[in-house]
Amino acid sequence: MTPTLLQRVNLARLAAGPVALAVALGALAVAQGPGRFTTYAGRSALAATLTITAGLALVLAGLVTSLNRPAGQIGDLAVLAGLIWFAPVWVGWDKGPPLVRSLGMLTAGFAFPLLLHLVLAYPSGRLHGAVTRALVFMVYLEAVLAAVGLALFRKPFFDPNCWANCSDNDFLVRSLPQLARAIEVADRWFTAAAAAALVALCAWRLLRDSGPARRTLLPVALPTFLLAGAIIGHTAALQRTPLEDPAQPAFQTMFVVACVAVMLLAAGLVWVTVRMRVQRRAVARITASLGQAPPPGSLQAALAQAVGDPELRISYWLPNSEHYVDAEGRPVAESTAAPGRAVTTLIRDGRRIAVVSHTAALPDLEHAIGAAVRLALENERLQAEALAQLDQLRASRVRIVETGDAERRRLERDLHDGAQQRLLALSYDLRLARAQAQADDDRQTGSLLSEATGQAQAALRELRELAHGIYPAVLAEAGLGPALATLADMAPLPVEILAEAEGRYPTTVETCAYRLVTEALDDAAGRDASHGTVSVARDGGRLVVTVQDDGSDRTGAMVQLADWVGALEGRLTVEPTRLQAELPCG
Amino acid sequence: MRVVVADDVLLTRQGIVRLLRDAGIEVVAEAEDAQGLLHQVRLARPDVALVDIRMPPTHTDEGLVAAQTIRAQHPQVGVLVLSQYVEPSYAMRLLQDQPERVGYLLKERVFDIATVVDALRRIVDGETVIDPTIVSRLVGRRRRQDPLAVLSEREREVLGLIAEGLSNRAIAARLYVTERTVEAHVTQIFQKLRLPESPDQHRRVLAVLAFLRA
Repeated sequence: MTPTLLQRVNLARLAAGPVALAVALGALAVAQGPGRFTTYAGRSALAATLTITAGLALVLAGLVTSLNRPAGQIGDLAVLAGLIWFAPVWVGWDKGPPLVRSLGMLTAGFAFPLLLHLVLAYPSGRLHGAVTRALVFMVYLEAVLAAVGLALFRKPFFDPNCWANCSDNDFLVRSLPQLARAIEVADRWFTAAAAAALVALCAWRLLRDSGPARRTLLPVALPTFLLAGAIIGHTAALQRTPLEDPAQPAFQTMFVVACVAVMLLAAGLVWVTVRMRVQRRAVARITASLGQAPPPGSLQAALAQAVGDPELRISYWLPNSEHYVDAEGRPVAESTAAPGRAVTTLIRDGRRIAVVSHTAALPDLEHAIGAAVRLALENERLQAEALAQLDQLRASRVRIVETGDAERRRLERDLHDGAQQRLLALSYDLRLARAQAQADDDRQTGSLLSEATGQAQAALRELRELAHGIYPAVLAEAGLGPALATLADMAPLPVEILAEAEGRYPTTVETCAYRLVTEALDDAAGRDASHGTVSVARDGGRLVVTVQDDGSDRTGAMVQLADWVGALEGRLTVEPTRLQAELPCG
Repeated sequence: MRVVVADDVLLTRQGIVRLLRDAGIEVVAEAEDAQGLLHQVRLARPDVALVDIRMPPTHTDEGLVAAQTIRAQHPQVGVLVLSQYVEPSYAMRLLQDQPERVGYLLKERVFDIATVVDALRRIVDGETVIDPTIVSRLVGRRRRQDPLAVLSEREREVLGLIAEGLSNRAIAARLYVTERTVEAHVTQIFQKLRLPESPDQHRRVLAVLAFLRA
């Protein structure tokens, strides 16, 4: 929409107020005077009051709505419907200007299509779904066809059922009483059917939508049910009594119900608009309530509370890795619009910062979120980005440790399957050769071969120790308990295992605990400890490994151990003769 | 004596088979994995199965698991496990359920064929065989207060031989003393270490190993 057009639209809206007032006062004058017997409003003071109040209320509600939400057409629809609401009164201006009465007849049929459009486009101003769009289109089309048809071919004078205006139609081209009658009946039934469809669509939306969206829809949907009931009831009454008579209780009742429904609809529109305004103020204020350093996610909570939508979700855009994360930095799927849910992309300085998934009952979030909230969002986005990077860093540390462990295991297997098998084959050959030498009684060769066999045996022993040092097979196969027991068998100092946690733990945790104990005992031996104690205990979700010795005070910081433990997000406590690691183990 | 040999490395398996045949032992079948071994044991009903601890698919303790299965399903078939690992816990696992007719030897002993043949004979005779390296590591383990200090030199020697799975008669033969003398030593050892004396020679192996590990 160009600015000039926007200005024109706003001027028209401002003008709508006085115009509506004039139209209403004129209608009141008609109803009190010449239209006393040809309008519902003329039947009683109550009927006049209801007519004028309902129409003006609709115009007022439309103005309030459109001034508050410049994007939506809802308000404009309500203003138009409110103006047309007075048309039947002007039609009943007995002996009034024929053009006014003719125009009144031409436009009166559009009040219902406008209201139907309003309700179905509510609250966003847009029509969603093919069925809805088709219904609105068909209702408008039918109203145009009926209005034009009646204007061209209905001469009121020949209509046996005419009551409000039995004389004037300025647009008449040719009088075709039967066609006019058929159009009238068809129009009535079509409108009744459309009213029923409107009820069905509203009911379906009420059932489908959750909390906040339903709360927004209800104030408009309930009066709609009432209005549709009045329309259907009016059609049924006319079917029984073709001549419409405002004096009859059935017609009077339907008229009162329709007036009340329109007033309630107007009140509902105003109420929701006011509530949204309050919510928008709350949204604009949320930064004030957050304080200096809000924890991640508080913005989402505050926004959700401000708009009354507990399912509201903020996802932050990370331009470098091109995906969305939540406030904690965890990757999340891109938000998509769903029935009753809308997605608003928030931009700051031309860059996308966040996407908010929220109830469709608050369509104008983008304008409601001001500069201060955007700054807070940008802050939280940066925080989320840092947290996401931290997560990646953590994952890569764990991967490094895991890769290292896997490499050691592979090395251990290669030693067993490669070098050891060859050494075994070698000692086998040496023994055969020695047996041959002995058989040949070659003592010198025999003793050389004996010595070589001994060397091969020694190499096998060393290889076995080396492989065990690189990665003890028992750790992978039987777990921490048996591996620590073997470690105690071989340790360079007396080792007592005070407690061992039963069961198996993640491989990284077992390996880390084992290496921690190995390193700690080697370190203790280096500080002339006479003995050490090892205890492994499970404490909730953590495996607590403690190694205590009686050597001299430790001077090193055990940096590598701290790295291993840190990679698993554990905590290492280094004291002069005591090491303790707490490893998360699920 | 009828033996089945299981080892996934062809070269090693052939070497073992040849050495055993040279030593006059009848090798009735060969297998290259645990499944084949169980099949051959069912088919050939050997006196002993000679099993490598590392076999496909994971190359960790398949042989040990197969040994336990054989002992459970065919109590008359003994099992000698050859292992790369000086791992008392593996040896003890083997003893846990059926403490007789089982053995745990380090792999490199295989070419010291006299040791292997001796172990096979002992298993057929219903004894237990634990590799001396494992026993000496347990006996020589560093302790803050050595509970073995109360034992005499000879008693310690006897304790080690008990842990290796030798019967009183075999210990007597090894030490050139009478069986009665060995019995006296055993009684002394069990009293000094406050171990409940077990008349069952198989169970006492496990008891002693557990004591040495504690």
